[in-house]
Amino acid sequence: MDKASHLSVILDLSPSQWHHSAQQDNPYPLSLPDFLSQLLTFLNMHIASKHENTLAVFGAFPGKSVMLYSTTDYVDIGQAMDANTYPPFKAVDTSVTQKIRDEIDALGEADEEAPCALVGAMTKALCYINRITSTSSSATAMTTSHSSRTPSALDASDPSILPDPRILILSVSPDLSTAYIPLMNAIFAAQKLKATLDVCKLYGPDTVFLQQAAHLTGGSYIYLTQRDALLQYLIMSHLPPPAMRAALAVPTQDRIDFRAACFCHKTVVDIGFVCSICLSIFCRPVPVCTTCRTKFPMKTLQRLNASRPPMPANPSLPGTTTANTSVGGTPRGGTPANNNGMAAMAAGLR
Amino acid sequence: MPSISPAEASSDTPDNTPHALLPFLQTQSQNTLTRLYQSPSSCLSIFRLLAPLERQMVMNLLWLESSIAVATMATWVIQEHQKLYENALTTLARLHILPHHIAKLALNPTFKTSLRQAITGGGTTGSFGVPSQKDDKHSPPDIKVLDGYALERWETILHYMVSSGMGQAPTKPSQGVLYLLQRSGLMASMRGAPLQITSTGFQFLLHSPHAQLWDLLLEYLAMADERRMDVVEVLSFLFMLSTMELGREYSTENLSDTQKAMLEDLRDYGLVWQRKPTSKRFSPTRLSTTLTSSLPPLPTSTGTGSGSQSEGFIVLETNYRIYAYTDNPLQTAVLNLFVSLKYRFPNLVVGSVTRDSVRKALTNGISAEQIISYLTTHAHPQMRKNKPLLPVTVQDQIRLWELERNRLKSREGYLYKDFASLADYEFVLNYAKELDVVIWESPTKRCFFGSSEGHANIKGFIERRTGGQA
Repeated sequence: MDKASHLSVILDLSPSQWHHSAQQDNPYPLSLPDFLSQLLTFLNMHIASKHENTLAVFGAFPGKSVMLYSTTDYVDIGQAMDANTYPPFKAVDTSVTQKIRDEIDALGEADEEAPCALVGAMTKALCYINRITSTSSSATAMTTSHSSRTPSALDASDPSILPDPRILILSVSPDLSTAYIPLMNAIFAAQKLKATLDVCKLYGPDTVFLQQAAHLTGGSYIYLTQRDALLQYLIMSHLPPPAMRAALAVPTQDRIDFRAACFCHKTVVDIGFVCSICLSIFCRPVPVCTTCRTKFPMKTLQRLNASRPPMPANPSLPGTTTANTSVGGTPRGGTPANNNGMAAMAAGLR
Repeated sequence: MPSISPAEASSDTPDNTPHALLPFLQTQSQNTLTRLYQSPSSCLSIFRLLAPLERQMVMNLLWLESSIAVATMATWVIQEHQKLYENALTTLARLHILPHHIAKLALNPTFKTSLRQAITGGGTTGSFGVPSQKDDKHSPPDIKVLDGYALERWETILHYMVSSGMGQAPTKPSQGVLYLLQRSGLMASMRGAPLQITSTGFQFLLHSPHAQLWDLLLEYLAMADERRMDVVEVLSFLFMLSTMELGREYSTENLSDTQKAMLEDLRDYGLVWQRKPTSKRFSPTRLSTTLTSSLPPLPTSTGTGSGSQSEGFIVLETNYRIYAYTDNPLQTAVLNLFVSLKYRFPNLVVGSVTRDSVRKALTNGISAEQIISYLTTHAHPQMRKNKPLLPVTVQDQIRLWELERNRLKSREGYLYKDFASLADYEFVLNYAKELDVVIWESPTKRCFFGSSEGHANIKGFIERRTGGQA
């Protein structure tokens, strides 16, 4: 149980969202500097927990993702060191704040803010985890192929063996439906790496996709209601490594929104139409699958069109349609009788 | 458990066994501990020594201003793990971190303030070590230099221990180290003769460096009172070292007198490096910066060695032969404890595990399990392809050799023989059996062996009978 653990933190640093978040008309205004000071404390606590714990911090800026800090890259704090601070803490704090400041200064005065590169940051985090776990496992592959728990003296030099990886996403932006497919791919990659995705939603409406991300990788999704208690939330639910959560009553989500985004208009749909060949999702019946070019029979198409709900789906407002969380077994769709047809399916595709 | 060697894993499983220092801390008075908790670096280091659940509990309470109801805290741990939680509560209460209270839980205020300060930085305690001013004449020591120094010091101590029994005379460690070894019972001197390694000492040699280091430091702490050193200062200096950065120089100016005196001792153990004894600056070595972690405390590869510290070097075959790829005299000497060595080449030592060699080790107080775990820890990477790692025949045989020593049991007693008739014999034997003192009997030879407790009774019984007949 007492193993080193790796934590990658992804910060959603959308200037406009943080601006909204700091407005005084919010029940609990939270500005970026306040958030950062609480976050840095949390990061320090992670490092404090164990000497071998590793940490990486990624920032998702508009249209750009940047690595802000990682344990493996040595930061020379040089003369900034003082006798009252533990050197690694100092390194994290200076590195993270400095890089965020640089990036924000570099942001141009664009009229329209580009969407945050959350998925880009996630992918970087996953690559980083892959790198630190694969180097340690390849070093041990030859030595420990027969037993998983032979911490041979060989990997002693590598502090990051089995670091129990997890990613914590601190999100403020709403769902970006265009990012659905890349995000899903990132989730699958995380599953494969056995990395846990934790999500803490600091501001704005619930995000459907991140809920799914947390659910599919066994992490926890927290919607922060009392934002002045951010640090306590982080400590209680996101600090314990996954191995230890088994013993704790860590808050989990009771309702998960399983809706998916369609491939054609990238809108979140309650009822989607799924290509029976390649499983692409569409918001309305199409004669030819845009992904695999399968032609569907005209008859099926007509039947599906006839069985669509009378209310035309409003694609411009995702999430404002019915907040139908688990659309188990929708009877509306035609039966997927012929194997070359198009099946209407509940969006809970998994 | 990234780097603890299996030897350690089997001897003290890090999952369950608390760190060696915690029992010592628990025996300290509340006053002592509270003084210790005034230093942020000590709090941080002690915090790291705790078990995962204990750490999480401390974290949960750290930023709360008010106390929290006991019941609330208990619901946070799920039902099946309540025992773990209660154990954690007990440990924390003993350390006076989380004083035991019926209704409310709150951290020790001193501990809380210091740990907060450690995490957020700031304050004026200087407990993480005052870095020294840049030296124009000398650049700070290379990490390689520090590693080499630590390794050399440490191996001198171990090598001295291991060769003391063989009449060799390797370099002697300093007087302070010798005294410590003697005090800890690892070595003993018989009637003014030179120091000899004891059976605890032999067991000590097979431990992992991390465990060895803490064994010695605990002994050092136990000696502190006797030497009029303040335990709090000794501990906080050790903890300060453990939070320092490798390869950096620190100034001695802010140290107390006790701590300055400690520098000398720690230099002998290889925990601290100084350019010269009077130098105003010192650098911690890897031995000290990894005190509160499970990373290997000794460098993984050295300039002189073959890197065999980190990699295994022992190949054990089913025919009891051992090939050890090492040029390290210490490792050879340790092997020599339970292997009869045959040939020696520049980088290879060949020997075999024999009954005699293992029995020699067993009589020295080393157990079969320790031998097996040593071989497992230091197995050559090639060996790790095997499953099981060590040949079963050899493992079993080593264990059997240990059992063999327990085959004979000696007991004191008396042999009764030369009975005149079988009836006499049986009569006395029955009496002895009633007393339950018979250990062995042989009707054909008309003799039996009784324990010494029953002798007076049997003797009286026989005398009465013969007296009655006469």
